[in-house]
Amino acid sequence: MRILKIMPEKCTGCLRCEIACSYMQTGTFQPAKSVIRVSPFEGHTSYAPYTCPQCAEGWCMTACPVGAITINAAGAKDVLDDTCVGCKLCTIACPYGTMFYDPDTRKAFKCNLCGGDPACAQACPTAAITYDDVPTVDWLGDFAAERTTRLLAGVR
Amino acid sequence: MSPPTLAASATKTKSAPARPGAYAGRLLRVDLTRKKCWAEPWSPDEMRDLLGGVGLGALILYRETATRGGKGNVAWDHPDNRLVLATGPLAGLPVWGTGALTVVTIGAQTNGPTSTQANGFFGTNLKYSGYDAIIVQGRSKDWAYLYIDDDVVELRDAKFLLDKDTWETQEALGAAHGLSGHQLSVYAIGPAGENLVRFAAIHGDYGHVASKNGCGAVMGKKKLKAVAIVKGTQALTAADYRGVIQAADDIAHDLRTDPSAKSLYEYGTLPGVVNLSKLGMLPIKNYTTNVPYDDTSTWEAPKLREGFDHRGHQCNACGMHHCHMQVIRGGEHKGKVVDEPEYEGWSGCGWQIGARDKEGISWLNTECDRACVDVNEFGWVCGWVMECQEKGYITKQQLGFELRWGDIKGAHRLLRMISHREGLGDLLAEGVKIAAERLGGRAKECAIYTLLGASPRGHDHRGRWDEMLDTCTAGTGTLESGVPVHVAELGLPTRITPFDGEAVSRQVAGILGRRHFEDSLGICIFTARTRMENLCRALSAATGWYYTLDEAMRFGRRTAAILRSVRLRCGIGPKLERPSARYGSTPHDGPAKGQAVSEQWEKMVDTWYVQVGYDRKTGKPLPKTLKDLRLDWLARDLWGAKK
Amino acid sequence: MPARHLIIGGGTAGMNAMRTIREEEKERSELTLVSAEKPYSRMVLPYYLDRSIAESHVFTATAGVLAEWGVKAHLGRRAASLDTKANVCTLDDGTTIAYDDCLIATGSSPVKAPVPGADGRGVHSFWTLDECRRLIADTRPGSHVVMVGAGFIAFTILNSILARGATLTIVEIAPRILPRMIDATGADVVEAWLRKHGVTIRTDARLAHIEDVPGARGSKTIRKRLRFAKGADIVADVVIMATGIRANLEWLKGAGLRIDQGIVVDDHLRSTVPNVYAAGDVAEGRELISGASVVHAIEPTAQEHGRVVGANMAGRQVPYRGSLSMNIVEVCHLDIASFGAWDDPKAEAVTGVKSDRSAYRKLLWTGDRLTGAIIVGLSSAIWTTNDIGMLKGLVHSQVSLARFKDYLRKNPFDIKPAYIASKATSKLLPQTVLGRPSKAPGTTPVAV
Repeated sequence: MRILKIMPEKCTGCLRCEIACSYMQTGTFQPAKSVIRVSPFEGHTSYAPYTCPQCAEGWCMTACPVGAITINAAGAKDVLDDTCVGCKLCTIACPYGTMFYDPDTRKAFKCNLCGGDPACAQACPTAAITYDDVPTVDWLGDFAAERTTRLLAGVR
Repeated sequence: MSPPTLAASATKTKSAPARPGAYAGRLLRVDLTRKKCWAEPWSPDEMRDLLGGVGLGALILYRETATRGGKGNVAWDHPDNRLVLATGPLAGLPVWGTGALTVVTIGAQTNGPTSTQANGFFGTNLKYSGYDAIIVQGRSKDWAYLYIDDDVVELRDAKFLLDKDTWETQEALGAAHGLSGHQLSVYAIGPAGENLVRFAAIHGDYGHVASKNGCGAVMGKKKLKAVAIVKGTQALTAADYRGVIQAADDIAHDLRTDPSAKSLYEYGTLPGVVNLSKLGMLPIKNYTTNVPYDDTSTWEAPKLREGFDHRGHQCNACGMHHCHMQVIRGGEHKGKVVDEPEYEGWSGCGWQIGARDKEGISWLNTECDRACVDVNEFGWVCGWVMECQEKGYITKQQLGFELRWGDIKGAHRLLRMISHREGLGDLLAEGVKIAAERLGGRAKECAIYTLLGASPRGHDHRGRWDEMLDTCTAGTGTLESGVPVHVAELGLPTRITPFDGEAVSRQVAGILGRRHFEDSLGICIFTARTRMENLCRALSAATGWYYTLDEAMRFGRRTAAILRSVRLRCGIGPKLERPSARYGSTPHDGPAKGQAVSEQWEKMVDTWYVQVGYDRKTGKPLPKTLKDLRLDWLARDLWGAKK
Repeated sequence: MPARHLIIGGGTAGMNAMRTIREEEKERSELTLVSAEKPYSRMVLPYYLDRSIAESHVFTATAGVLAEWGVKAHLGRRAASLDTKANVCTLDDGTTIAYDDCLIATGSSPVKAPVPGADGRGVHSFWTLDECRRLIADTRPGSHVVMVGAGFIAFTILNSILARGATLTIVEIAPRILPRMIDATGADVVEAWLRKHGVTIRTDARLAHIEDVPGARGSKTIRKRLRFAKGADIVADVVIMATGIRANLEWLKGAGLRIDQGIVVDDHLRSTVPNVYAAGDVAEGRELISGASVVHAIEPTAQEHGRVVGANMAGRQVPYRGSLSMNIVEVCHLDIASFGAWDDPKAEAVTGVKSDRSAYRKLLWTGDRLTGAIIVGLSSAIWTTNDIGMLKGLVHSQVSLARFKDYLRKNPFDIKPAYIASKATSKLLPQTVLGRPSKAPGTTPVAV
């Protein structure tokens, strides 16, 4: 299965992925509703995008009381808008913080790999996000551990 | 006479057309005297007329800073001065480099209008909070900072931020609000702004500076320490989303591949050091020479970059390899995080003051940002003091210590004296022009400034006459026409002889307006280095207008005419449109050796006036010019009803 | 002869068990369901109450699905007794069902506070579909609804009541709202938010009795007067009693199962009688972090219990790691969530409040691991949902936060760097409840 491969050392924190993603998710530019989120490490020196790893368990999917989360053609866990009632159970079941809720539509939403053509990967100017056939791993852990030493030491 | 106030006309408009895409649709008005903040609508017609950025700011200055029935203007330090912090229609969209902040105000250096741009995420965060611009007026009794979090807009006590530098201020605000990275965009002043240093800048988002004409002093005078904007949660629409994305991709392609932008794409402004040194445009030791004192091969862009541990720090949606953070690898400041100096930093904190130590220069450059002084003017002051010390025009006693060429530590000491107005620093804080005029004598002859009072960019303009002419004549007191980009689009020659005054004047006048247009879009001047056609396409897709290059240039020139009218109202007429003696001198060595701008100066200015359609005697835009620009109301204001 | 599985209770646990049995089994078994109601999801009733979904949307198994799964369903019947020696269950109509193994998943029922008048007409509970229908019928725009009790169940329908145009008063016997979901500071933030949104709240209010207000002759509607131990009376059009729930265990008297707070189950969710499983609200099973034996009467536990039981009934040996207490509720676009041991008095607590944004975080530590958390924040605030999930992940994964403990003490709102840098993701990615990737709902293969 193709997934989003993230190479954090290439990310410059420009947030273009969030804008592109929000367009796919909402039909407008609204990064607040992007499901890929650029996290800062050490404030202004290191960033990396973070999104749903499409985990094997699919905590969101198994938690849904109405079966509104399914697996789409791209292999991504995907929310069926007409089935979701907006109970938010998936947002607490997901241990990755990648299940979202839109107070305007009252629906849960998440990364669905844009059905197989992820906008974030297309938008990334530095190829920090690519769409590849590789196993899912923790792309950010080592980078984040290194790029938070300064933060922990309280120096900038 | 003039058009009605923005709010009034917005509410008056009947059956108004739908709001164009990409606009947030509201202006945020902040009255510091009354401690009140409120949102004002602006109409679709005004959006098309003024776009945003300097276009919007210029009209606000014109409308709101007049005195004596439009004959005079408030001074920079008057509570009625406006500090317009504007962004534009492209801000927050996926077009590269669209987080721009344009500061428009009556600046402290010229005491006339100015427009100066910074980038980062100001525009993004502001637009997604639901505002296109902030208009600050009045003066606070106590130090305050403006906090914006969608509809929560408040003036808050800034006591805990006082005397903090700009980076510390941003960190403190981030900690206070529990926000990090781009979740909180902060534009602040450091000690230099608090102490009303006339060339104080407004700094934001770690390394982005609106530096020109003392806009930081205006903010300081208003006792506004910072503007903190939480990443907003609103949506921005586009008339044609796919169109915006495609225009953005076209622009990106241009920037990546077109020779006019490719090196910027790869290395930002770093290649400037070596490239300009070859043309006699690198300012070396306060114009005392034009021959590099150091091996320039060690100053090639890749070397400057490889010398540090680099971390991308791009602005909104930007793919340029331009803005970076760097960690200093060795020396006294090992391990410190600094903003990679722009070309201007390498020149202002480097060549202009005779420095070689790249780690030291990099550190000093960020120290300028932290103190919030314009790095160009700092260079002109520091290099000038160094030369005056060398020549004995400023004594060790006067300064309190000895400051030699290349002394980074000493330069830093000077920076502190200036930003805190200590000792001679109090005088130097007035900027080169005022300090030189006060000291007078031989010292004055060494000083680099324009009679308008503002600082030139970090070049040796004796080899770059277009920018000298632009700097001296500008309605903004600093570069107004800007750099020629894709001039063939405007029917101008792609190459001219740089020391042919006539050709230079035509070129400078010919491109006047383009930069105002770029700026008003909320896009960085570097990512706007594409064909205007592309910019117009992006604007059209975003807003739904049919916006052409003609309209763009007419818009830009209209903005220039309005700014110039404010400038004239401030009492800054054509007589002051000259370089200082040193600034306009003739290089005695280097690539531009013997090229004397002074010999052609008057003719250059004459030509420029004819080309832009302004009156040489009064400086006013001519009635015909104004009519062509559809500024009939301004013609009536400037020339009376009859003409 | 195929195995005979009996599922008692058609709620979340039972439905998940049946689906998992069909997913896992190698040989088609006989599947029998006893359910007092047609299977539906209690979680989504609030959305039926506010009419954002239609009634048909609440059902979790249509007749068609039950037929496809090959389930022999006794709907509308209750189990009356269980003979664990004879392996026979007797229903309330006398029907007997013999089984090889069975699952008890009979859930809970609401308990009305023992207040005179609480069982009269016009006093509602909100638990079953029938009760939901009655509440829809009685609540009109402009109705004054009084909610007795300010716990989680009450909070799940606040939005729905407001959305129906009713005015709302909450009365709570405790000194504060949500006493079993969040702490006092968090409750203050929520209370302020609700007041701002026009909800009247009365805490420390001991209801003494409920009586009818004499109305106009022939009037169909009955208004209610609520009298309190002290303070003014409240007159209401609709009274909802949300004063607690109790597990449905009475019918198991004499069945020979060990019952403490619930039916005590081992790590494979078997009761003390090995071929009798229990799941959901009636089961007292392993808690994820402490390993203690607890009842977690929450939807996620019912789901996981049901799936694990289903796998085990189908012949696999799947141990259950344990359940984690978690709740989330949203009122007027304010999210309120808590995880794990959020009220552990022994844990070290770190808190942060942003009153201007109605945001609150409480992190509870045991050593350098997060064992509980409370989070309150605007649904629209960019990082609220993000932090909810990440805090869940930190509690769930029990990853060591080492030096980030100190960081989070100072920056309780900056969860992301701590979460990512402590590599919770690496620890979580290999985890699955059933030891294999989950299947999408609706794609359950039917073994033949």
